[in-house]
Amino acid sequence: MPEQILNMTGVSKSFPGVKALKDVHFDLFAGEVHALMGENGAGKSTLMKVLTGIYQRDEGEITCFGEPVHFKNTREAQDKGICIIHQELNMMNHLTVAQNMFIGREKSRGLFLDDRAINDEAVQILAKLGIAINPKEIMGHLTVGKQQMVEIAKAISLNSRLLVLDEPTAALTDVEIEHLFKVMRDLKEQGVGMIYISHRMDEIARITDRVTVLRDGEYVGTLVTKDSTHDQIVRMMVGRTIFEEPKQKSTCPPDAPVVLEVENLNAGRMVQDVSFQLKKGEILCFAGLMGAGRTEVARALFGADPKTSGTIRVKGQLVQINGPQDAVNAGIGYLSEDRKRYGVALGLSVAENSVLANLDAYSGKLFVRGGEINQVASQYVEKLNTRTPSIRQLVRNLSGGNQQKVVIAKWLIRNSDILIFDEPTRGIDVGAKSEIYKLIHELVDEGKSIIVISSELPEVLRLADRVLVMCEGRITGEVEAGASQETIMSFAHQRQEQPAV
Amino acid sequence: MNHRLLKTFTLIMLSFALLLSMTACGQTTATTTAAPAAGETTAAPAATTAAPAEDVYIAVVSKGFQHQFWQTVYKGAQAAADELGVTITFEGPPSESDIQAQVQMLDSALAKKPVAIALAALSTESVTDQLNKALTAKIPVIGFDSGVPNAPAGSVYANASTDNKAAGALAAENVYPAIKDKLAAGTTDMPVVIAVLSQDAVGESVTNRTLGFVEKMAELVKAGGIAEVASVGHDKFKSGDEKTAKVLIDVGVSATTSATDIASAGTALLSKDNVVAIFGSNEAAANGILDASNEGVDLASKGILAVGFDAGKRQKAAVSSGVFMGSITQDPYNIGYKAVELAFKAYKGESVADIDTGAKFYTKDNMTQPDIGQLLYD
Amino acid sequence: MNVLSKKPAAGEEMAKQGLAGNQRLYALVAMILIYILFAVFGRNFFSFETAVNILDASYYIGFLAIGVTFVIITGGIDLSIGTVAMCSAMIGGVAWEKWGLPFTAGLVLILVSGALFGLLNGTLVSRLKLPPFIATLGTMMVSLGISSIVSKVQTVNFPSRTSEEGWFKSVFSKVQLPSGAMLPTGAILLLAVLLIAFVVLNKTKIGRYTFAIGSNEEAVRLSGVNVVYWKTIPYIISGLCAGMAGIAYASTYTTVVPGAGQGFELDAIAGVVIGGTSLSGGVGSVFGTLIGVMIMSILRIGLPSMDLQPHYQKLFTGIVVIIAVLMDISQQKKR
Repeated sequence: MPEQILNMTGVSKSFPGVKALKDVHFDLFAGEVHALMGENGAGKSTLMKVLTGIYQRDEGEITCFGEPVHFKNTREAQDKGICIIHQELNMMNHLTVAQNMFIGREKSRGLFLDDRAINDEAVQILAKLGIAINPKEIMGHLTVGKQQMVEIAKAISLNSRLLVLDEPTAALTDVEIEHLFKVMRDLKEQGVGMIYISHRMDEIARITDRVTVLRDGEYVGTLVTKDSTHDQIVRMMVGRTIFEEPKQKSTCPPDAPVVLEVENLNAGRMVQDVSFQLKKGEILCFAGLMGAGRTEVARALFGADPKTSGTIRVKGQLVQINGPQDAVNAGIGYLSEDRKRYGVALGLSVAENSVLANLDAYSGKLFVRGGEINQVASQYVEKLNTRTPSIRQLVRNLSGGNQQKVVIAKWLIRNSDILIFDEPTRGIDVGAKSEIYKLIHELVDEGKSIIVISSELPEVLRLADRVLVMCEGRITGEVEAGASQETIMSFAHQRQEQPAV
Repeated sequence: MNHRLLKTFTLIMLSFALLLSMTACGQTTATTTAAPAAGETTAAPAATTAAPAEDVYIAVVSKGFQHQFWQTVYKGAQAAADELGVTITFEGPPSESDIQAQVQMLDSALAKKPVAIALAALSTESVTDQLNKALTAKIPVIGFDSGVPNAPAGSVYANASTDNKAAGALAAENVYPAIKDKLAAGTTDMPVVIAVLSQDAVGESVTNRTLGFVEKMAELVKAGGIAEVASVGHDKFKSGDEKTAKVLIDVGVSATTSATDIASAGTALLSKDNVVAIFGSNEAAANGILDASNEGVDLASKGILAVGFDAGKRQKAAVSSGVFMGSITQDPYNIGYKAVELAFKAYKGESVADIDTGAKFYTKDNMTQPDIGQLLYD
Repeated sequence: MNVLSKKPAAGEEMAKQGLAGNQRLYALVAMILIYILFAVFGRNFFSFETAVNILDASYYIGFLAIGVTFVIITGGIDLSIGTVAMCSAMIGGVAWEKWGLPFTAGLVLILVSGALFGLLNGTLVSRLKLPPFIATLGTMMVSLGISSIVSKVQTVNFPSRTSEEGWFKSVFSKVQLPSGAMLPTGAILLLAVLLIAFVVLNKTKIGRYTFAIGSNEEAVRLSGVNVVYWKTIPYIISGLCAGMAGIAYASTYTTVVPGAGQGFELDAIAGVVIGGTSLSGGVGSVFGTLIGVMIMSILRIGLPSMDLQPHYQKLFTGIVVIIAVLMDISQQKKR
């Protein structure tokens, strides 16, 4: 029986007006990967912040490596061998890999820093993890996957015996995920205990030993992964059963008119000779690996990035799109993958965000017409079933799924007939996901045409009437609804046999 | 990669082109000043001892450039240069606090090896090194306007300047008769105030004018039978006993030479009780009085008599409309002219001596007369 | 696609050069080009004397710029350096001239008050979490006021060459060699400080944390580093350098006027930007900064040699700053 390295019992934490954690239990053994699951806002992050000393608990006991602990800050947790790898990577992009790994623990020779020593040590640690990264490389020049590896290597170099991985795969390619799992298995062998937070069911099944589910700040239960089913876990998380059946057949009539026609679109290395059509009432999915150029196609089409060539026709009319404004005027709306940076203004209210793309229509000569704005915003809150206490609520305070609905409302209010959803459910919990899916279907039923870019194959299969698969900036295949995951993946790996320039 | 190189190259070429076009401008002005010079030498073949005219370069480093006063000095200097057939450059720092800018100008002027330098120093101490350098290189220095007081012996050959103390005293002499009757109303509890607005207490000329006015006014008041007179506001101008004074001469010194600060110093002075007159000791201070008094409207309503110094457009308008009782004018054109003339003489080895370029009191009655009118530079 | 496989090392070597590296090179080339331009077209520009003048004009701005480079690398800004330099010089000068302190004590006082202003800025920014722009703007006004109050709005004259403390000019400005030529000792001092600043920035913890904070402050904090402490240090360095700039100014220009110094900070920041330090933090170099300052000095001294009013200096400096920032942006886009 391996040693129990962490035992949290009866942990509670309140914030003004909110009980964030209620009597939560969680434990971890050495060499175990223990998944912590729950919808957004279920209390996963709060629990981890309590563990690592960012928050102080109100009640409960935490025993770590056999001793009761009460960390006051991350440093104390670190000293005890507990390290958290955050969802948003915390890197100093301008520093080298080794400098990042040893920040706060620099080695000195006399007055001066000894970078050679930290480089040597970094090489050893990276080698031990089987990671091929030059420690002198500038962090910002690495891919997200490699940066993640460096974070883990940093944690290892701190002699961490308990790692918290908060959605580590959110921005990784499949190959990178493979590598991450390999590293995690090695760490297991070495007796490191890991708490793994993720929304991706397939990963949970592959890498974790046990699953603990939280809901609304409360402990729901712990399952042994290999004895549990997907549905079981989801039911625990949302308190209801959700079916995610793949779509068997296109629901778009074959004779529907073409609303968008893109020909020979070129924009840099990531968009090469891309041509496709989108029909009225169709859901067209772009599938492919991370970095295949799907987002770049959307951005070039939308005018967010300059394109080198290509023609775009909307409802048969040739349109010149030189900037987002042209695209918006042509009736195209783009819902960015990075909602917080490009989608919503976090500090503005639901109402203000709703009309952001169409403020002209709601403004007089001098003033904005607040009454009309509130009216239309309320209308869409109701229509999209956005859960917000009021339209005056700041978008910052909404959950991811509801933020996404505000973005959708924004484009609907702008009368966009063509909507491009870039990773519409990233960072959104399972319950909200199916609601977004339902919403997308309602939109096409109303005659909107939708392009969805998604890295999650189940999502693609669930939504798409038609799938375009990209690889290295080219469209490598087209499949109809009902195609298998394997077909799509084979197209996604169809690389051009030529040396990269 | 190519793209970036191209861009960099374009940018560098662009700056090149800009600089070259500036050089072209610079050269045209140089030739236009040289042209009459060539004509001069041919017209006066007698002046055979003169060096080739196009090589005679005199650097004029002034205390300012933007003010109309300095522009008139510039005109005078340029006129002298044209008549004498020499090339001059005329430079001045953006404000009178910019000592480092003036020193740098003087440094570059020296590096250009002029035959003589005309200088109005912001601070003699700052330019001592440069004056010594000029002395070693045997480049004569001519002081103008406030000149270069306490310069190293031998470096400054002569000065073309206004006697500022006398000019300040001239203002006092003209103000006193107009306010004489009001002074009697002053008591120890409620003294009558004669305000003086001074741009700074640093610059030699402004300080001397202020001092000239303060001293002369105190003298006149005492001579008029009121012994209890004191001047307050700044250590440099302090005299008499403030506690017993029936007439106070209150000097307001601005925190910096910026127009806003001068105006607020003016506001502070004008808001005091029993102010009967105010004197602004240079153009900036005179403008400050106008700024602080709603373009003079408040002066009339409070019955305050105002006198300025110098002759900028605003000040002249104030005098001609009667808002100001009058103002002192120096002769900036003459200052510039004489400075270059003295510099040229010094270069030729002729003996030179200080020249007082004079000051006059002008009012709305005499400002149109030709002898005064020509001093009122714009 | 296989991102984890080994890549050829050539790309990594290029990457290591960093943004500052590239722009520093461009700035150096631009500096030499501008110098040649003036040497060809200017009146008596190409001379040792002019070179000394250029150094003289670089000198106090140089100290300011080196100090503020540290702050800018943290992603902050220090607007107070110009007035702090003048205020510190004023305090030291008054202490010597009016309060009767020994002159050397006055000089030490200049450095101490500069550093104290820096400490004030650092505390406001890192401990009290004020935005650097606002905090240092406040300090700018405070120091402007203090300099007027301490001096009673009077000029302070530092010792001239002939006075008892004449060594002051020889040590901090320039000294006359037996041959009669002027040796710019101030510039040598500036170079020495530059070297120290370089070592501090690149070889010590102070420098490492300066870059790290500019790159990602939150990450540094989460790594258990005392960010409040390490973020205060660059501001103290900036203040200390402002003190040195005060001494440099006093020795070069002798007279210190109350209420001066506004605008110096912008010249210094312009130099930093021309030298390739990014205002968004994390990237920067003190050598680049010096080149940036030199470019501005060459313009300042060179334009009058072509008989152009010094107002043109602002115009051209402005153009150079815009070009520098354009290049910075175009390089960031390439990443």
